[in-house]
Amino acid sequence: MIKISCQEQLLPGESLQAKWDFAARAGYDGIELRAKGDFAFRDRLPELRQAARDGVPMPSVCVDMLHFIGAFDADLRRDAIAQLRSQLSVIAEIGGSVACTPASYGMFSRRLPPFEPPRTPDADRAVLLAALSELGAHAEANGVTLVLEPLNRYEDHMVNRLDEAVSLIDEAGSRGLRVLADTYHMNIEEDEPTSALVKTADRLGHVQVSDSNRFQPGAGHIDWGALLGTLDAIGYDGHLAVECRLRGEPTAAVAAIPGYLRRWS
Amino acid sequence: MSIADAPVRAVISPSASLDRAARRVLAANWRRGATVPAGGLYPHQWSWDSAFIALGLRHFSPVRAQRELESLFGAQWTDGRVPHIVFDPLVPADAYFPGPAFWRSADVAGAPGVPTSGIVQPPAHALAAWETFRAAPAVARSRRFLERLYPRLVAWHDFLLTARDLRGRGLVSVVHPWESGMDNSPAWDVPLSRVVPLPPAELARRDLAHAAAAERPTDTDYGRYIRLARDYRDSGYRETPGFAVEDPLCNALLAAGEHALASIAAEIGLDPARHLARAQQVTDALMAELWDVTAGTFFAYDVVGDAVLRSYSIAGLLPVVVPDLPVATDLVKTALGDRFRLADACPVPSYDLTAADHEAGRYWRGPGWINTSWLFWYGLRLHGETGLADDLRDRLLARVRTAGFREYLDPLTGAGFGTDDFSWTAALTLDLIRTGPRR
Repeated sequence: MIKISCQEQLLPGESLQAKWDFAARAGYDGIELRAKGDFAFRDRLPELRQAARDGVPMPSVCVDMLHFIGAFDADLRRDAIAQLRSQLSVIAEIGGSVACTPASYGMFSRRLPPFEPPRTPDADRAVLLAALSELGAHAEANGVTLVLEPLNRYEDHMVNRLDEAVSLIDEAGSRGLRVLADTYHMNIEEDEPTSALVKTADRLGHVQVSDSNRFQPGAGHIDWGALLGTLDAIGYDGHLAVECRLRGEPTAAVAAIPGYLRRWS
Repeated sequence: MSIADAPVRAVISPSASLDRAARRVLAANWRRGATVPAGGLYPHQWSWDSAFIALGLRHFSPVRAQRELESLFGAQWTDGRVPHIVFDPLVPADAYFPGPAFWRSADVAGAPGVPTSGIVQPPAHALAAWETFRAAPAVARSRRFLERLYPRLVAWHDFLLTARDLRGRGLVSVVHPWESGMDNSPAWDVPLSRVVPLPPAELARRDLAHAAAAERPTDTDYGRYIRLARDYRDSGYRETPGFAVEDPLCNALLAAGEHALASIAAEIGLDPARHLARAQQVTDALMAELWDVTAGTFFAYDVVGDAVLRSYSIAGLLPVVVPDLPVATDLVKTALGDRFRLADACPVPSYDLTAADHEAGRYWRGPGWINTSWLFWYGLRLHGETGLADDLRDRLLARVRTAGFREYLDPLTGAGFGTDDFSWTAALTLDLIRTGPRR
């Protein structure tokens, strides 16, 4: 049976407990949290601890900031690493196991003007490896995993495909690092998403799902039978975290996702 | 070595189920609309492979199973022929020989825009299309899968029964050993011996880079294959190139395929009668022309040499896939005998175990294949031999569990040969698992 979680902002309800009541009824197995900057996630600890005590499963957290570990600016980079260190500690404390980050988001695209980034590919790689090594060690020490998410070419210029993320975490060399496969980005970047998943099997730490058009699974043209059949075939036993926009009445749309996905698994 | 460079291999261990391992192979071998038989040795789309692959894909992704057949028939020629290879333009031109530069399909009027070969393979497609539909009727109907494929399947069978009925007896001839699907079968030795081989220097073989020479055809045979293919090509793929045989498997699949077309026609609101009539005609011709009552098997007929080819091949037993075949019981009896030892040899040997020239490890000259064994299993069920069918199924799965998804296996020891992670082995394994004993 596949495990499905939903990002918190998609769920109706004022509190995590109320959101979980809704999510559990809809067939979800957990909630993926979102972590804003300035240590806002750490500052939510009283709320998160209470939710954990109340039985809300929160297996993962996804960074929700505008600067990242691959930032061109050294101060922003330093801050992104500090935020992620904190997020890894917090997710470990509340019983989760995964924190997510891309290399960057919205900073630069080689497909949009001015096309040439201000930093060389080698320097990009050095910056990412330094951040990943530090965060991997911290994740290991906390018994959790940092997952690196490739984004499509319009959102990031450094890590677009699963094999690129694998290459980075292999060189960083920490068991606390894994790869995040997002079905929307894979649909754009991978020659064959399912073949890419087979090749990444040993390094796959997390999966986020949305359809080819970024709406909820079922709203686009991803072949969910092939995708979920492959994830099962490679022995992936983590969550599929729903991260998408919603088409249709939002509450009904988000409630329908687990049923839709389980049809194909 | 990083994981990105690691070869994709299904690891079959007690902890990883065979079902999952089979799906891993199919996922890894899928290429944007079709499945390659094997990433290294066979990096394009093969015709009858796609039919067998669809039988497995249907359990995993009904859409992929349908696309597998649609992509193949998208490369159909205007004369109705379905080419035995559809080349992937993204694969380097020298990755497989003979490649697009040899077949030169673009030079022939009526060939499709994508490069293909000009010969064919056994018509397992109508059967596969019907079984693919049956696995997910709602998905198929929403995509109008059968409505779109049916006229193409009809044109394919029409091609075979017109352009390829060389004797006018209602049976299809294949004009190259590769068209039989059993490329190197000893049944073709006599008609092939008349063909003057091209010298080895003119053969740019690629297969030996991926498999041991002892398991592949010899250079002399390969030189004959290339000679025949070249002559056929140079006639615009119209003239019989000095080799023509009526093969029982091809004709049996055609008869079974006409039964499938009858079911498909009925499903989409057309009259099935013409297909049932044609199925009966092909079945009658098989019985009249190729059945040998004393031997208890069907023998191929050498059209050029005007002689029966008395070679005990698995092809001679595979008319068991034809519904209402009057001699199914005789075929089962022959299969249980010393030549094929159905009760213990597995997969079913491709060639007579008692023959002096039986070679358990050489391509189609003895080893067992999963596709022909699957067809025999299918026929056993069709004719009510469920006990034998279930036993064969269990032993096939045990063999694959031990050897992996190999291209072919020694029927007595179970040793695997040829390429690994072979798509139809994985696909039909998945079908055997999912179909289960006794439908």
